[in-house]
Amino acid sequence: MVRRRAAVGNNPSSQSISAAPTEAAGVPSRKHNICMVSDFFYPNMGGVESHIYQLSQCLIEKGHKVVIVTHAYGRRKGVRHLTNGLKVYYLPLQVMYNQSTATTCFHSLPLMRCVFVRERITVVHAHSSFSAMGHDALFHAKTMGLNTVFTDHSLFGFADVSSVLTNKLLTVSLCDTNHTVCVSYTSKENTVLRAALNPEIVSVIPNAVDPTDFTPDPSQRQGDRITIVVVSRLVYRKGIDLLGGIIPELCLKHPDLQFLIGGEGPKRLVLEEVREKYQLHDRVRLLGALEHKDVRGVLVQGHIFLNTSLTEAFCMAILEGASCGLQVVSTRVGGIPEVLPEELITMCEPTVRALCAGLETVIARHRSGSVPSPASIHARVQHLYTWRNVAERTEKVYDRVAGEEVLPLDKRLRRLRAHCGPVAGSIFAFIAVLDFLFLLLLQWWAPDRVMDVAVDGTGPQGMCRQPPSGKVGDVLKVP
Amino acid sequence: MGPDSVPGPAVPWRKVLWEQQPFPDNYVDQRFLEELRRNEGIRQYRYWAVVKEAGFVGEQLSCVAIFITLWLYMEQGLLSPETLLWTSLVSALLGYGLHQALTSQVQPGCEPRTRLADLQSATIFLSFTFGFSPVLKTLTESVSTDTVYAMSAVMLLAHLVSFPYAQPSPPGSLSLNAALFASVCLASRLPGALHTFAMLSCALLVFALWPCLLHRLREKAPRQFTGVCVGVCIGGVGGLGSQWPGGAVLLALALGSVTLLCPLLLVRLQRHKDNIQGPWDEAEIHEDLSHFLHKWTEPRGAQVAADLTFKKGASQLRILYE
Repeated sequence: MVRRRAAVGNNPSSQSISAAPTEAAGVPSRKHNICMVSDFFYPNMGGVESHIYQLSQCLIEKGHKVVIVTHAYGRRKGVRHLTNGLKVYYLPLQVMYNQSTATTCFHSLPLMRCVFVRERITVVHAHSSFSAMGHDALFHAKTMGLNTVFTDHSLFGFADVSSVLTNKLLTVSLCDTNHTVCVSYTSKENTVLRAALNPEIVSVIPNAVDPTDFTPDPSQRQGDRITIVVVSRLVYRKGIDLLGGIIPELCLKHPDLQFLIGGEGPKRLVLEEVREKYQLHDRVRLLGALEHKDVRGVLVQGHIFLNTSLTEAFCMAILEGASCGLQVVSTRVGGIPEVLPEELITMCEPTVRALCAGLETVIARHRSGSVPSPASIHARVQHLYTWRNVAERTEKVYDRVAGEEVLPLDKRLRRLRAHCGPVAGSIFAFIAVLDFLFLLLLQWWAPDRVMDVAVDGTGPQGMCRQPPSGKVGDVLKVP
Repeated sequence: MGPDSVPGPAVPWRKVLWEQQPFPDNYVDQRFLEELRRNEGIRQYRYWAVVKEAGFVGEQLSCVAIFITLWLYMEQGLLSPETLLWTSLVSALLGYGLHQALTSQVQPGCEPRTRLADLQSATIFLSFTFGFSPVLKTLTESVSTDTVYAMSAVMLLAHLVSFPYAQPSPPGSLSLNAALFASVCLASRLPGALHTFAMLSCALLVFALWPCLLHRLREKAPRQFTGVCVGVCIGGVGGLGSQWPGGAVLLALALGSVTLLCPLLLVRLQRHKDNIQGPWDEAEIHEDLSHFLHKWTEPRGAQVAADLTFKKGASQLRILYE
């Protein structure tokens, strides 16, 4: 049943019915109808959100059709269209915690099926392991016989009870997923261990920044002072406690030093307390939450970019800092050592002493004038990571996935039980059966053939034609 | 299902993202997971060492049993409050002497308590308990006896669960309060006010002072500590056995499983421990960062602040002069 449906319902255009997966380079790849699913999307702001947006835009540029599915944010619900006809579904699902939806494994199926069928989706791409909606989508997509891709954006430990549980859920969720994408090699190792995956179905495709958004402007710098910029959410995981130790140490030694801190969070208190206690009001400026478009304006005022994260899968912030021509000082954690070549970053152990020492060497280099110019740093960084490159590599993943067979229900159940252990495997096999029965009910109630096909906004025959020289990575234009 | 294409072996793979490498994105190198570390800093337990440590848990369990035994004796009139008071007083004095003997050298940094201060606290506590014992006696009169027993049982259990076995001196506030609550409940069911007073003094001895002495003993004389633990356990089982043989059997079983079986399980299951660490773990902040905050009197913090203020003042002066 599932196989038949997959064959009938989900191959919309003649282009996508090709005999064998075309893996060789040079052969023009076929076009896919991709559905990005994540709880995190605009108006929420962060690495995952901009990743989804930029990747979608580049895939549209390459001729694929992309729709984004997320949950409703306040009064923002229903369907919205962004630049280049990128359609976003804000589904009315209940938010539970930290912008992540509650999951019952079933309640989102009717809505998701609607989207998948109406948009003639061929590949479902879920983002972020914190997104319950993404996991739901992967589950339903498999029930509907679609191929799935998952991108993991974060690292997770193994030590405590909560991580044991979430890792088990990830194992179940990724057991059926055709391919997983991680943003760094460290993240790949982490995901392979957490979800007990075959490392060959995990690709590493880094994030990117738009170099045109982050250009240096040395004239914004204060000449007589050295400015250290920090742009991060003020939470424990970003090492704000370390920052609270660094500030008084360095301010004492260097009277011409000032800190510019952008971001908001519960650890703001720590910084305010330090500022109060050492009376550094004129030298430590807390800017509060920054909009994405304002980040560059803050970055270019600085000489040194400081990142004190305690864990980080990729860290776009240091890339943005380097792209603006700043000297980057960062903790050596997670995937950070992979991101920038050694001459562009000073890495320290995550302690106050080590970070202070690292910062002081960079300050000394500054004073002696032996640092490369911001323009040369920008020139070095701007070609390292581009969204077009990310899209190309993701496209290869789609090509590979589209050629794979979707397991029929009996094999799926057997794999769940074999892969996820007897207890969790059996529970989720049972849920998979229920999901399948629910799908049958929905198909009887509203058959696929009577559902309208959505108007195609993007893609090769898209309604919204792209401008001839469409620059990818335009400012987010939301109606 | 292998990597998408065969890599050219000429260039070695590097774990960097900023370089375009001639390998497919799903390439798995020899060095994959080479930074994975297993069971780092794991402690290897020896069976008898664990048994010794677990003996303290058994000892505390027996203390509760001894207290219940004393209460049973009092309730049935087999033990007069005067006898209990005199015995308590004598053992308190003996224990105090032993405690003083074991704390021979003064720890640097903290002022030792004088005998006068100890005497003062003891007097205050005893006189207040004595004064309030008629009140405590009638405290739970309106509550049914079953409820009182159930409440005492729960509170004694809470005492055992929350007892700070690693650092029993001073006894944890939750465990001490739970134990004293249970003793007030039980003491209020005794026939007279003097009974209540005797029971509460005894509770203080068993639950507050005895753990302190034992802790000192564990530090100074570990060999004798083991002996004391075994003695208390035997005393608990024997005492309970004289009133309630079934309870004594249960207690003996509990003691056996806590001190012998659980350590065996711990040591056996240790083999299956598989803890994985790697570069993806969240870094831990080991330094004590609190001295940057909170305390103004902290010499270093204050000095830094004073220095900063001075520099600020100097720069302002300079600006003024210029």
